[in-house]
Amino acid sequence: MTKHLLKSAVAAAALLAAAPLAAQELTIGLRAGPDSIDPHWSTLGSQAEALRHVFDTLVDVDDTLQLKPGLAVSWEPIDDTTWEFKLREGVTFHDGSPFTAEDVKFSIERIPEVTGPMSMTLYTKYVDSVEVVDDLTLRVNTKGIAPALPNDFTRLFVVPSETGMEQGNEEFNSGEAAIGTGPFTFVSWEPKGDLVLERYDDYWGETPAWERVVRKEIPDDAARVAALRSGEVDLINYVPASDYLAMQNDGDIETFVSDSVYILNVQPNVKDEEPQPITVNGEEVDGNPLQDKRVRQALDLAINRDVLVDVVLEGLGTPATQLMPEGFFGYSDDIGARPYDIEQAKALLAEAGYPDGFEVDFTCTNNRVPGDAVVCEALAQMWSRLGLTVNAQALNGTVFFPAAAREEYTMAMSAWGTLTGEAAYTYGAMIHSKDDELGFGNFNRTGYSNPEFDEVFQQGTQTLEAEERRALYEQASEIAMEDRALIPTVILQTVWAADADTLDFAPRVDQETRAYEIRPAE
Amino acid sequence: MLGYLIRRLAQAVVVVFAMSIIVFTGVYAIGNPIDVMIDPGATAEIREKLIAQYGLDQPLWRQYFTFLANVAQGDMGTSMVYNIPVVDLVFSRLPATLELVFVSVCIATFIGIPAGLYAGYRPDSVAAKLIMALSVLGFSVPTFWIGMLLIMTFAVNLGVLPSGGRGDVGSLLGIPTSLATLDGWSHVIMPALNLSLFKMGLMIRLTRAGMVEAMRTDYVKFARAQGLTDREIIFSHVLRNISIPIVTVFGLELGSTLAFAVVTESVFTWPGVGKLIIDSILQLDRPVMVTYLVLVVILFVLINLTVDLVYARLDPRVRLKGGS
Amino acid sequence: MSDTLTPEGNVTATASAAPAETRASRLRDFWSDYRRSPIAVLSLAVVVLLAALSFGAPLVAPQDPYDMAALDWLDAFLPPGTEGSGGYTHLLGTDNAGRDMLSAILYGLRTSFVIGLSAGALALMVGICVGLSAAYFGGRLESLLMRVVDLQLSMPAILLALVLVAMLGQGVGQIILALVVAQYAYFARTTHGAATVERGKDYIEAARSTPLPTRRVLFRHLLPNVLPPLIVVATVQVASAIALEATLSFLGVGLPLTEPSLGSLISNGFKYIHTDRTWLSIYPGIFLMITVVAINLVGDQVRHVLDPKNQR
Repeated sequence: MTKHLLKSAVAAAALLAAAPLAAQELTIGLRAGPDSIDPHWSTLGSQAEALRHVFDTLVDVDDTLQLKPGLAVSWEPIDDTTWEFKLREGVTFHDGSPFTAEDVKFSIERIPEVTGPMSMTLYTKYVDSVEVVDDLTLRVNTKGIAPALPNDFTRLFVVPSETGMEQGNEEFNSGEAAIGTGPFTFVSWEPKGDLVLERYDDYWGETPAWERVVRKEIPDDAARVAALRSGEVDLINYVPASDYLAMQNDGDIETFVSDSVYILNVQPNVKDEEPQPITVNGEEVDGNPLQDKRVRQALDLAINRDVLVDVVLEGLGTPATQLMPEGFFGYSDDIGARPYDIEQAKALLAEAGYPDGFEVDFTCTNNRVPGDAVVCEALAQMWSRLGLTVNAQALNGTVFFPAAAREEYTMAMSAWGTLTGEAAYTYGAMIHSKDDELGFGNFNRTGYSNPEFDEVFQQGTQTLEAEERRALYEQASEIAMEDRALIPTVILQTVWAADADTLDFAPRVDQETRAYEIRPAE
Repeated sequence: MLGYLIRRLAQAVVVVFAMSIIVFTGVYAIGNPIDVMIDPGATAEIREKLIAQYGLDQPLWRQYFTFLANVAQGDMGTSMVYNIPVVDLVFSRLPATLELVFVSVCIATFIGIPAGLYAGYRPDSVAAKLIMALSVLGFSVPTFWIGMLLIMTFAVNLGVLPSGGRGDVGSLLGIPTSLATLDGWSHVIMPALNLSLFKMGLMIRLTRAGMVEAMRTDYVKFARAQGLTDREIIFSHVLRNISIPIVTVFGLELGSTLAFAVVTESVFTWPGVGKLIIDSILQLDRPVMVTYLVLVVILFVLINLTVDLVYARLDPRVRLKGGS
Repeated sequence: MSDTLTPEGNVTATASAAPAETRASRLRDFWSDYRRSPIAVLSLAVVVLLAALSFGAPLVAPQDPYDMAALDWLDAFLPPGTEGSGGYTHLLGTDNAGRDMLSAILYGLRTSFVIGLSAGALALMVGICVGLSAAYFGGRLESLLMRVVDLQLSMPAILLALVLVAMLGQGVGQIILALVVAQYAYFARTTHGAATVERGKDYIEAARSTPLPTRRVLFRHLLPNVLPPLIVVATVQVASAIALEATLSFLGVGLPLTEPSLGSLISNGFKYIHTDRTWLSIYPGIFLMITVVAINLVGDQVRHVLDPKNQR
């Protein structure tokens, strides 16, 4: 009813051709946009974020990255290597054709044919074959046991099976093939420029509040802030920390803060021979002190996370005691806060045989994520209270990452984001022992290897039942954190900004800015 | 003359080659660009695939020859970060930079030369001393610091000019440029002034030095004795004599103005090629680095060539021999 | 490195061959000419004072900004004139790590001086030798040398330095090396240009026809006559080595925040220019400006005094 009223109102306005549609239009200034309108082209996060407005995924994620129904209303494993998805009824594409299981099958099969250099086959790697049972039932046969298949399908955008394999970037970018089931229809897009969208009135979900949405790509931080201040855009993402401070004292602008998936982790190298020597009075010590768990615990206890958050990051952070934010799949509620206890830290260090501390190099990224260099310095200060001499160095990514990949650092710190919202992503890459055959430990730069952890984690990756798997991942979290395989310090936060009291906006932990989840302020 | 031109162009080609080799070797020496750019969640398989995709698994010489072969077909490569052809990327950013450089060169010339002439003509006047003091500030105080002060003053405290970015783009004689709009001018004036100060300072000093020297020559004394007015002397004789060093420096500094645009663009977040190259260096986006540097080399060679030609025109004693 | 310094050895050797008496009196003449400009004398005093303060930083500065144990995060962002936990007043405030800005500036100034002076001097020496040899010997050597110099000039110093620092990594030594490589070509080109004009002149031909050793002709006859234009460039370049380092650090490829130079201090402060913490960028900037301007003014007066046309 309201929809029709609105429609006729819009039509009337269009006839008059003069009345501004300001209240109906949302313009967003974003740091990054899509590379293409073909939803099967690239894994880039900003690509998925933009195309979500036009295309729906089979499985969706909520604002803390936990799975929720998308085009599929439910999914369950029917045996070890088969997942069955029940599809949503009554969904239509923007051209009016109905959505069926054939379209999903086609989309899965289209990906390897058309995907670009940032290959989306990442999300279909477990798929062996796809069976259409009926219009609204789909079965996917997997290669081996694949509990993470629904997670992978959160990036499975569905296009109509009529699209054809030969249509690619060109047809999508022109709009000819840009037909999805999403809340908005595609109007136009310029690479590195504006993506213009219009509301799709027959959308299956909640009707978006905006008749028209313009997503402007403004990569430069200061320019984006300036665009908001000049009224060119209504909302911006990734507000730099320094501007955030200025905005705090500015009544015209409202800020929205959310935890991100990124956590600054200290990475103590635990190999037999540390890459950069650790010394006491200029003499290299025998063995690697960081191999001693008590030393790593001492380092952990000497970190005052509240100071990092309140003073060093000036409020834009949350203390981190695990490798992912609370609520993620595999986050353990049994790991408590890490109290700052310098006395106990000193005692542990003395017990480990270093009552007078030691001298160690500590290398961090510089300006890779907000606050990395200042946290780096602050940690060096905190450890100097423990009696250590810490040579902190913050280096640019161009220097840091290649050297880190060559495992040249004894102690390093960089940010890691659990982009999928579940533990397997992070643990498989960073904590599991390096194992090329299984494909685990590619980002394990510390040499940490705990058979107990590996076993629990691998068992998890082979468990289809979600709650059982969750328990195993939580156990894995507890083992890794008890060992201080890595020492998490702070969860970084991201900031959005809009003109005060104009928008009703709930920021998401995955940092996506979804126009259809934003409404005008009451 | 033609032989000279050919030799200079051949030289330019050598320079371009040398430059690209330096960048290739340099980037190769730092490490694998993929390790800088890769999504932290990528599997080893994807990493390998990406490395192969960009040919980074090949030996250096082969990477370089692949690059040359592509260039021969007019393909400078694709930006690893933006995933669009580098040529498109650079040329989409170039107008903004040229616009900025153009305005700043105009400011430097139209203020710098008259000021320098005056300072040289009446070297002991208070105004001349003031001009000289300002010129010292202009070329010695780092660009980025003055830029910062400008932002603090005009954007933060007074709030009269925008603190950064490029304004609305209009059309002037069919060329899309932000100089066609008022908003565009409000954005360009501060960075252009910032960029021009160094050049202006240098221009003032050179003009003044030449003027002082020329006024002392016997030749000017004779001209004066013959009853020519100072105005006639300056415009018909002195200007011609002092033009040589000015043209040289003007030419050489035109290139460095382009280069220093890197700094000004960073301070004022001006979306030109300078900002692009800084970002590319910080992300090891090799195709963009190579293309930008090659472009700058070509521009420089052209500028130097023009300077040499003008030089020869102004001073018959200099023979064009193109370093052979 | 020492190989490239050999030509410089020649310069000193030739100079010291001159009778000590003449040298002393020449210096006296120079000084009496120099002090005619009170501004130049003041500038010299400022340069000397700043140099003394910065090289004496460990004695003068209230705090060692490199010593993490001496810093306290509770002192972060104290405005100028506040007393911190160390029991002394932070005259110029503190930064985000609780570092005393005055100390950081003095240590940073020292870094800037070390980098600027060594890079400027090395570039000058290399440049003079390349330029003079090319102009004097001519032929293939000239064409080779000037081609290399052209290659260098095909890239603005700032860009070359940017690329080099990005490749060499972040550190004082790396920056000096990058600056020398980036800047020597300017000296070489200027020397060569002026010397080309000079070499056609009679006095060089005359000197050449006498049995004087080549290097004597080069450095005693040619060099003094190409010096004035060289000093114009040197005036700019020596101070600009300091400015360039600051610029590189400002752009994020120079020295990191954990190793403060004036540039990295300003760069860090730049993040806060939209807030009221302007002391973080203003004070290091003022020091940088004073240093660079003073050096330039000193150079200016030196040029004025050395200019044969101004000698009375």
